Amino acid sequence: MLELRPILSALWRNKIAALLIAVQLALTLAIVGNSSIIVGDRLDKIARPTGIAVEDIIAVTYYPAEAGTDIVSMARADLDMLRAMPGVIDAVHSNHIPLSGSGSASDFYREPNQQIDDEVANVYHTGPEFLQTLGLKLVEGRNFTPADMETWNPNDRYHPKVTIVTKQFADIMFPEGNALGKFIYGGGDNPIEIIGIVERHLGAWTSWAKAGSVAFYPSFPKFTFGRYLIRTEPGKRDQVFKAIEERLAQLEPNRVIDMQTLSERLNKSYARENLMVKVLSAVIGMLTFIIALGIVGLTFFWINQRRKQIGVRRALGATRTNISRYFLVENCLIAGSGIAIGMAAAQIGNHFMVANYSQPALPLSVMLVCALMLLCVSLVAALVPALRAANISPATATRSV
Amino acid sequence: MLKMHNVRKSYRTDTIETHALRDFSLEVNEGEFVSVTGPSGSGKTTFLNIAGLLETPTGGQYLLDGQDVSDLNDRDRSRLRNEKIGFIFQGFNLIPDLDLFDNIDVPLRYRGFNAKERKKRIEKVLEQVGLSARARHLPAQLSGGQQQRVAIARALAGEPRFLLADEPTGNLDSLMARQVMELLEFINEWGTTIVMVTHDPDLARRAHRNIQIVDGQVADLRLQSALGEAVTA
Ligand SMILES: Nc1ncnc2c1ncn2[C@@H]1O[C@H](COP(=O)(O)OP(=O)(O)O)[C@@H](O)[C@H]1O
Ligand SMILES: [Mg+2]
Repeated sequence: MLELRPILSALWRNKIAALLIAVQLALTLAIVGNSSIIVGDRLDKIARPTGIAVEDIIAVTYYPAEAGTDIVSMARADLDMLRAMPGVIDAVHSNHIPLSGSGSASDFYREPNQQIDDEVANVYHTGPEFLQTLGLKLVEGRNFTPADMETWNPNDRYHPKVTIVTKQFADIMFPEGNALGKFIYGGGDNPIEIIGIVERHLGAWTSWAKAGSVAFYPSFPKFTFGRYLIRTEPGKRDQVFKAIEERLAQLEPNRVIDMQTLSERLNKSYARENLMVKVLSAVIGMLTFIIALGIVGLTFFWINQRRKQIGVRRALGATRTNISRYFLVENCLIAGSGIAIGMAAAQIGNHFMVANYSQPALPLSVMLVCALMLLCVSLVAALVPALRAANISPATATRSV
Repeated sequence: MLKMHNVRKSYRTDTIETHALRDFSLEVNEGEFVSVTGPSGSGKTTFLNIAGLLETPTGGQYLLDGQDVSDLNDRDRSRLRNEKIGFIFQGFNLIPDLDLFDNIDVPLRYRGFNAKERKKRIEKVLEQVGLSARARHLPAQLSGGQQQRVAIARALAGEPRFLLADEPTGNLDSLMARQVMELLEFINEWGTTIVMVTHDPDLARRAHRNIQIVDGQVADLRLQSALGEAVTA
């Protein structure tokens, strides 16, 4: 027995306050719906697999004290030393730190001397140890061998002969899935053979639309700086970090060394996303809190206004449960209509966000979850006043004026 | 019908304890029309509230229809109020947001009657109080006398055996008061037991029996009809 019709007609006579709360609920739902979809999208983005053993990797960048230092032989010595250190699984040189937001990219073509229809990939110059160091999974073909390795001077043009690419890029270049052994071109007529395909490597730029399209070359450019990636045994990264710092300083006290963990770099790369998640979560929390307060306040106000009526209802035979239920049902009706308006508003708002700010579309399921959550919040908010209303004495009917 | 024995009721506020009823004993028989008079603050409303299960006594015994109601829980007390007792208040106490039909519907819904049964009863009592044409009016659109008749209709719709009225004519002019009194007498003739608190000596005299409450106790017992039966502790 829900007394729906009399509750509705009583509500109709107090429609302004009810409408205000309903509209507030609607707005809250529209904002919460659109915010949570953005939060979800960013969280998904942050949670994307990188393909890389992020937690166990240390990046070292150094600048030799003297110009003209032979970076390549310095690297060979350093890397041999690093690989021999306890707790180190492997180490490799690399021209950029993956996931760091800095890197380089090249255009690739399926035919020699092609001018249009290029595909872009993130490019790394590294060595055979990169698979083991980054923890990449080779799904097809072979790794680089020492024989593939070439050193080159940045003033000259480098003509790679072989490359290992990510599966994503392989499938972009050769959608039939037969990329292995095929040749790709960097715009000229130099063929680059795809000798291996790794499952995944997110590349340098986490927010890039093409993130995950990566090509690796077995090469050692003679830049004025050197860079190593070091993979440690799980849990030993920080310990090894200190040891490396000391050893490198010992070996060559005059060079400038910068060391970072890959997790640090990745966190920096996701700083915007993390901020967005925090801000929007705060907005969702605040709005929900405010609407809950509003409902608590309004319900208390109404109950106070209707003390006499509650007493009369009790005198006429209403149980405590009847009284509490009356206010909960009333609240449900207001919340329900507010949420219905809110769902429509959220959809309209979302179309606008999708069209103008390329935000993700709001699926019905998320909408329904948000609506349900808000309905629960409003019910819980109304519960305390509703239970208090049940304590109003039936004698209020005869006592108060 | 109603039997109170040494009923006590005291209200405790921060500073003082008010004894609203002290060793209050009274018996009202089935079919009686009892009027209750007494000075303001003497405990008349307290007596009605306890009789109508709106309040619980601090001590003593109260039998309603032979049943000891002292230990009933809220649910059972609510059910008894709903089924056996009709209330009429000085201030009418109609629910302002509901029209007459819905006002009379309130106790019937708590009773659990189905829509058809409720409609039948509402139409019947509205007819009895002569307000059928106004079923969809709001209380504010009626005169005081009409509102009190709706309140009586609401009290009657559940066909209670026991009607309690706290100064039902207190807010009405004498013509309307007489109409309400006639309605109550008519209801009583059909078998409903009535206890009515009033300040109007003329109306009080029209009851079978008049009880005076002074200082929380029955002060004077005057047999006004053969039906009345004085009972003291
Ligand atoms: N809720 C209450 N709290 C404290 N005192 C009360 C309360 N209700 C009634 N009283 C006191 O109990 C006494 C009897 O009140 P009441 O039964 O209303 O008298 P009457 O109806 O005869 O005017 C009065 O002194 C009144 O002030
Ligand atoms: Mg009184």
